[in-house]
Amino acid sequence: MFQYIVRRILIALPVLFGVTIFSFLIVNMAPGNPVEMQINPDATAADIALKKEALGLNDPLYVQYVRWLSGILHGNFGFSFSTHQAVTGMISDRIGPTLLLMGTAIIIAYLIAIPIGILSATRQYSWMDYLSTSFSFLGISIPHFFLGLGAIYVFSIVFQIFPTGGMNTLGGTGGFADTFNHLILPALVLGTGIAGSMVRYVRSSVLEILGQDYLRTARSKGLKEFFVINKHALRNALIPIITVIGMDIPLLIGGAVVTEQIFQWPGLGQLTIQSIGSRDYPTLMAMNLMAAVAVLLSNLITDVLYSVADPRIKYN
Amino acid sequence: MKNVKKVVGAGVISSMLMLAACSGQSTKTTGNASGGKSSGPKTMFLGMVNPPINFSPVNSPDVASTFVDHFIFEPFLEMPAAQKFDPKLADSFESSDNQTFTIKLNKNAKWSDGQPVTADDVLFTMNLVANPKVETTIGSYISMLDGLDVKGKLPDGVTSIPSVKVVDQNTIQFKTKSPVDPNMIKEQLGTKFMTLPKHVLEKIKPEDLAKDPFFLKPTVTDGPFKFVVYNKDQDVQLAANPDYYLGKPKVDNMYIKIMQAPNLAAQLQTGELHMNVGIGIGKIPPEDFDRVKQLKNVRTKVEPTIGFQTMMFNTTKIKDAKVRQALAFALNRSKIVDKLLKGYGEVVDGPYTSINPYLDKSTNIIKYDSEKAKQMLKDAGWDFNKTLNLVVPIGNKVREQSADLITQDLQAAGVKVKVSTFDFPTIMQKGKAGDFDLLLMGFTFTFDPDMSNLYGKVGSYNFMRYNNPQSDELLAKGKEEADPTKRKEIYSQLQKIWEQDMPIITLYSDSDFDAISNKVTNGEPKISGFHDGIQNWDVDGAQ
Repeated sequence: MFQYIVRRILIALPVLFGVTIFSFLIVNMAPGNPVEMQINPDATAADIALKKEALGLNDPLYVQYVRWLSGILHGNFGFSFSTHQAVTGMISDRIGPTLLLMGTAIIIAYLIAIPIGILSATRQYSWMDYLSTSFSFLGISIPHFFLGLGAIYVFSIVFQIFPTGGMNTLGGTGGFADTFNHLILPALVLGTGIAGSMVRYVRSSVLEILGQDYLRTARSKGLKEFFVINKHALRNALIPIITVIGMDIPLLIGGAVVTEQIFQWPGLGQLTIQSIGSRDYPTLMAMNLMAAVAVLLSNLITDVLYSVADPRIKYN
Repeated sequence: MKNVKKVVGAGVISSMLMLAACSGQSTKTTGNASGGKSSGPKTMFLGMVNPPINFSPVNSPDVASTFVDHFIFEPFLEMPAAQKFDPKLADSFESSDNQTFTIKLNKNAKWSDGQPVTADDVLFTMNLVANPKVETTIGSYISMLDGLDVKGKLPDGVTSIPSVKVVDQNTIQFKTKSPVDPNMIKEQLGTKFMTLPKHVLEKIKPEDLAKDPFFLKPTVTDGPFKFVVYNKDQDVQLAANPDYYLGKPKVDNMYIKIMQAPNLAAQLQTGELHMNVGIGIGKIPPEDFDRVKQLKNVRTKVEPTIGFQTMMFNTTKIKDAKVRQALAFALNRSKIVDKLLKGYGEVVDGPYTSINPYLDKSTNIIKYDSEKAKQMLKDAGWDFNKTLNLVVPIGNKVREQSADLITQDLQAAGVKVKVSTFDFPTIMQKGKAGDFDLLLMGFTFTFDPDMSNLYGKVGSYNFMRYNNPQSDELLAKGKEEADPTKRKEIYSQLQKIWEQDMPIITLYSDSDFDAISNKVTNGEPKISGFHDGIQNWDVDGAQ
C-alpha cells in the first residue's frame, strides 16, 4: 500500500508540472494585463512599460515561467501584483474559512444523503421514495445563489434566526458559537446542493446491492433487517459513494465561489474572483496549483479508501 | 433579485426548515447594529460593496481605498457641495494672485503618536509624490506645481520640489506654473491630497514605499478615526481618535462592512447596517429601491451624482459625425432611466451632469427620435447591411441591461448590432486597441470641468480616437484660465463642439440611492465631502 501511494505521488508530479505550464500559458494569454489594471489613468505608455519591466512582464514567457517555477520550488509563491502582499499569506488567510465551510457542507450533505438514500432504496416506490427523489431533484436543480438568497430572506429577514452574512459578528467577542451561527446558512445551502445529487447515487447503489444473492443469504441466516442493510448492503454500496465524494472535493473549492459571495464568507472564492478581475498572475497561479493538488490528492485518497471499504480491492 | 427572494421563499421554506431542524436549532441572534447595551461603546456600521486594496493616501488605486483613507488621514479641505470648501487640516488656503498659494495648518492637529502635524510633513509628502521613484496614483493632484512635469513628477535625480517652501511650522507656500482657477486647485490639492507622517516614513527608500506594510495597516494617522484592522473583503474596523483636533468623534467604533450589493438591502432591513455608503462603491441595486423605501426602520435619500455612463463611438470606424449623431438620436435614453434606474437618474448629452456648474443646458439637443435617426442615416449614406460591434463590460448590472435596450433602439432605426461582453481588463485592452465600434463605459471625474483625459487627443480614456485640434486647444486654454467666468465660456464652447462631433454620448447619470437607519441621529452619505464633520456623526445607542 505504501509503495502504491509513493508510486501514485511520483506519477502525479509530471501531471502537476504539465498543469502549471498550461495554466501559466492560459493565464498569460488572457487579454488585458495587471499593469493596465492598477496604474493610474494619467500614466503614459512609457510609465506602463517601466512598470511592466519592474514586474518582469517584458521577459519572454518561458523566462517568466522558469522564474515562477524556481520560486515555487524554493517555497516562494511571489507577491500579489495588486496588493503587494505575499501570495502565501493571502491564501493562508483564506483557506481556513473555505475548509471550514466546505467540510461542514460535505458532512451535512452526507448526513442528509445517506439515510435518505437508504430509506428511499429500501422502500422503493413508496411515498418516502417519491419525496426523497423530489428533494434530490430540487437540490440538484436549484442554483446556489437562488437557494442562498432564499435562505437569507427566510431565516435572516423574516424569522431573524441567523445573520445575513460574514463569519463573525463585527465588534462581538467572536468565539466558536458565533462562527457556528454564521456558518449554518451557507453550509446548509452548499450541503443541500451536494446532498441532492448524492441521494441519487446512494439510492441507486443500494438498490443494486439489494438484489444480490448474499443479502438473501444474510436474511435467511435470520439476521435482523437493520444489520442486513447497514452492515452488509451499505458497505458494498460505499464504493460508488466514495467515488462521488472524491469528485466533489475539488468541485467544492470552485462551487463555493457563489455561496461565499452571497454570504460574504471570507474564503478562497472571493480571492479567486478578484485575482481574475485584476489579472493578478502570481495569485492566480498559486490558486491553480492548489486546485490541481486538490484534484490529484482527492483522487489518491479516493483510491486508498476503496481498499478500506472493500478488502477485495488491493493495490500492489 | 427582489422577485427571486419572494418566489423562493415558499418553495424552499419546507426543505430548509427540515434541514435547520437536523442541525439543531441555533440560539437567537441577528445583527443588532447598536452594538448591544446602551451603556456600551457606540458603533456605527456602514455598508460598502467594493473592497479597498490599500490604505495609502498617495497610492490608493480605487475609490473604495480612498474612501477609507479619508477616515484616517486628513485633507486640507472638504468640499460639501460643488466648489464650496470647509476647512479641515488647513485653517486657510489662500492666494492673492492665483499662482502663489499659502496654506495655514490647524495648530492643534496631532498625529496619533502625539507629534504635531507640521508643514514639514506636508513638504515631505509632496516631495514623496513628486519623486520619480515613488509609485503613486495622485500625481495629477500636484502636477500644476512649478517644476513638475504633467504627471506631477520631478526630473530624475531631483528629490525636492523647488516651488514649495515651508514658511514656519504651520505654514506652507507653493507656486503653480501659471495662474490657476483656485476652485480647481482647492478641489484637487485641497480635498484629495492627504499628508503623511514624516517621522514615521522618512527612513523608507522611495522605491520600496508602495510595498511598505504601513500602507496595509497605518499605525500613525491624524484623522478622526484610527485604523484597527482590515479583514480582507469582510470589514474595515476603525476606532475614534480621542485626540482629534476638531473634537473627539461621538461614535466609538466605525465599522465598514463589505458585501455584495443585494445584501445591502437585507442588512439595512435587519438592522445590521446603519447606512450604505453610496458614491459608486456602496450602491443599493435599483431593483431593491421599492422594497427599501417601504422599510419602517430606515429613511432614504436620493442624490444626483457627477458620475455618468457613456457610449463611445470609434471615430476611426464610424467616421461621419452625422452618422454618430444619428445613432445618438436613435437612443431612447429616458427609457433606460425609467425602466432600469426606476426614474432615479437623468439624461444629459455630455460629461457634465445637472449638479455641475459647468453644464451648459442649451447644448443638450439630442432628443429620442427613431424616424429622424433613420432619415439622418439615409441622408448620410449609411450602409444598413453593416453590423456594428457593441462592446459591453460586465460588472455593472444596469449598464449590462442597458445594452439590450440600446440594441433594440438601434435595430429600430435599421442598424444591425452585435453585442459582445467582456470583463474589465479585456475591455481596457480592446478600448486601447480601438477594437470596437461602440463601447459602453462609465466615468466619475471631478467637479472641475477639465476633460482632457476623455476628449483630449492623447487622453488616456480617449478610446474614441477623437481628434479635433480646436477642442484640444480649448481644453488646454480652459485648464490654464484662472477666471471662473471665462472658464465657463470656454467649456460651453467645448460642449457645443462635442455635441457636433459626437465622439461619445452620455447615456445616463444615475443618482445615488441611500438608506439611513432611524437609529442614526446625525450623519448621512453624501456624494461630495462625505467625511466633512464625520466626528459629529452619532447613533442612538439606547435601542
